[in-house]
Amino acid sequence: MKKLACLVVVAFAFAMVFSPSAFSARKTIIKIGINAPMTGDIPKVGEGSKYAAMLWLEDIEKAGGLEVGGKKYEVELVIEDNESKAESAVKANTKMITQDDVLAIIGPQSSKQAVPAGEVANKYKTVMISPWSTNPATTLDRPYVFRGCFLDPFQGPVIANFITDEFGFTKAAVLYDVASDYPKGLAEVFKAAWEKKHGAGSVVAYQSFTTKDTDFSSQLTQIVRSGAEVLFTPQYYNEVPLIVRQAKELGWKGPIVGSDSWGSAETVELCGEACYGLYFSSHYAAAGAKGATKAFIDRYTDNYGYIPDDVAALTWDALRLAQQAIQDAGKLTGKIEKDRAAVKDALTNIKNFSGITGNMTFTPEGDPIKCAVIVKINDSGEYEFYKSSCP
Amino acid sequence: MEIARKFKNMFSTVPMLGWLLGIFTAVLIEYYWGYDYISYYLGLPKIPVLFGTLIMLKDPMMIPGVIGYDLIVYGIPILLIAKASNFFTNPVAAFLEKTPLWLSAMIHLIFFYGVLHLWAGINDYRVLVVKLTLISIILTISINVINGYQGEFSCSHPGFMAIGAYVSSIITLYFFVADKTFGAAVLSPALGPWLFPFALLAGGIAASLGSLLVAIPSFRTRGDYLAIISLAFMFIIKSAIENLNVIGGARGMGGQPDYAPLPIIFIWTMLCIWVVHNFVTSIMGKALNAVRDDEAASESMTVKTRKTKMTAFMFGAFWAGIAGGLFAHVLAYINPGMFSINRLAEILAMVYFGGLNSIIGSIVGAVTINVLGEALRPLELFKWIIIPLILILVMIFRPYGLISFKEINAKRLLRAKHKREQGA
Repeated sequence: MKKLACLVVVAFAFAMVFSPSAFSARKTIIKIGINAPMTGDIPKVGEGSKYAAMLWLEDIEKAGGLEVGGKKYEVELVIEDNESKAESAVKANTKMITQDDVLAIIGPQSSKQAVPAGEVANKYKTVMISPWSTNPATTLDRPYVFRGCFLDPFQGPVIANFITDEFGFTKAAVLYDVASDYPKGLAEVFKAAWEKKHGAGSVVAYQSFTTKDTDFSSQLTQIVRSGAEVLFTPQYYNEVPLIVRQAKELGWKGPIVGSDSWGSAETVELCGEACYGLYFSSHYAAAGAKGATKAFIDRYTDNYGYIPDDVAALTWDALRLAQQAIQDAGKLTGKIEKDRAAVKDALTNIKNFSGITGNMTFTPEGDPIKCAVIVKINDSGEYEFYKSSCP
Repeated sequence: MEIARKFKNMFSTVPMLGWLLGIFTAVLIEYYWGYDYISYYLGLPKIPVLFGTLIMLKDPMMIPGVIGYDLIVYGIPILLIAKASNFFTNPVAAFLEKTPLWLSAMIHLIFFYGVLHLWAGINDYRVLVVKLTLISIILTISINVINGYQGEFSCSHPGFMAIGAYVSSIITLYFFVADKTFGAAVLSPALGPWLFPFALLAGGIAASLGSLLVAIPSFRTRGDYLAIISLAFMFIIKSAIENLNVIGGARGMGGQPDYAPLPIIFIWTMLCIWVVHNFVTSIMGKALNAVRDDEAASESMTVKTRKTKMTAFMFGAFWAGIAGGLFAHVLAYINPGMFSINRLAEILAMVYFGGLNSIIGSIVGAVTINVLGEALRPLELFKWIIIPLILILVMIFRPYGLISFKEINAKRLLRAKHKREQGA
């Protein structure tokens, strides 16, 4: 009994003495939350977001903190893994808002997490900027939720117009994943836009598959037979190489066009020469970039050894937006609820923000008005700027 | 070892009521002094949310502070109060023992809920973790009826959960909420929380009807075949919802009203524990065990095996549906991808970790996997190495799970612990 009591006391004394920050006062730190898929289906996306955030923090630290209203504040990143799962993203957001007292949240990237997580952010009145989520429901009726990219209803027509203008085709085929939110939505938008241009029935093949399918031969055979001139497939980097190769093996001769989900660095790595010469719409093009965009790309490449994909660039822009909004808010009161509301107001008022993925102005919904870029995969496997299309 | 035995001896006289009182004091201390004094002087940024595991793993410098905090707030008060209050908690427990068991259990539960509510209320993140853990408990217990008591290997639980989630969401969205999919609310939204239990029940019933689709063709087979058929069923449900654009398809369905606060979920969980406990200790439950151990023998002993298996399967599916409904209303968003193979792995991990054929095991399994999953969050990738490793170890040393083949004995759990009962 005595031994036990001694043990407790000793442990306790240790705890008090060796606690490095014991008795230190709490100070106001600006905390920015990053809600990213570090594990799960798309870890590459999480990695890109994390690296971009770390570069941003480096800049802030070099400047000695973030200056708001003439005072420099220390900035801290709270990076949470959402495991690419909806409930985990909700938990991560709740934790960052109620426990870590973050001023703003960047992420989650995919719509399936951004939609429920946005609900949480809006409920607790905390600014959330999803860099990559294209589902309209993410920001709909949520004054505190913003996004950093254009939406599918904009992207679909851009691609349809590009194909028409570039090749003059009138018959298109679509191959998409019916089980995944983003490809399905975009496929529908594209189909509607195409048919509006070329009349009903001009999408001659509209084929679907399910997530994790790896054999597309039956769908592709039908597409080849349908007499389509161009194939549109809004898939992710893990499926694009398979689709492209199998299509070529089955005798597909026409061009294959993709969407911003192609933009990952992995696409070309996995696809190889089969993908050279193809086009996709995106948020930015790495090869041939100029100014701030080039500076970011070079820095990222130097630090992490590969060219950043669009997620990293969009995350960077989202962070810069948050930074701008915090600075525009004027001053920090230290009362987190008040500061969050001020940041939200400042963010709504931002006009013509010049980001590395283009200039942005927010609509009242929290969606940016910005241009899309058509990217060509050139003969050395780089993503080359081809054309830009503005609303 | 000597210390541990002494320790155990010393606290063997503390009844459940004493422990609850101790925890209650700890929570009060945290509530009143946790932020302003204790965590402040220990240099912690805030009250450590899950006993400090999150900050500890993020910043090892905080470890001493966190240990100090846990000792001051939880360790010492709980032990002290539990032991010191012996002189009156034991007589009270003895008095409660004389009252009917349900009354005594009810009083304990209300007290327990009060403590839980106060503890969770300190931070909304805790509330969310507790809510999802309670839902996991319902899920784990319901699958234990099938995989444990019935001894089958069913993989369709996420499917049942999806049916429950979608049916109850459709009902609440259709009747009580003005949204884009179903238009204006049919009934007054004020009625919503009162009629919510019926929406949940409808979800549960739909899930159990869905389970008939698996049960009818598959109960002529056993073992692997049922596993395959039920796995197929799970995928059928998922693809069916993905292709139903009326209810959102792959985009999912959002905007469910917040009808599932902590007390509601707690009540449903306790109801589930009570009902399932009664079910498995009833004649039907014994018959179920008999069928599991030897189907031919029990058939010859007049057990209607087919009916028994069907009932148990539908019963398990029903509770999975309820859990799904609660889950949908906690997250306020569902999509078919949530009810897929990942969810199945999680449910199976909880039930096999906790222990087959045991309600208390299911509770332990669900709580452990959930809390561990949250507590190790800062480790990111390593979390997915540690948790499976623990599971493997459990499977090696305790093949049926941590606490298997044990029932809750409420009377024993709640009784007074006088000196005479200490044994030698």
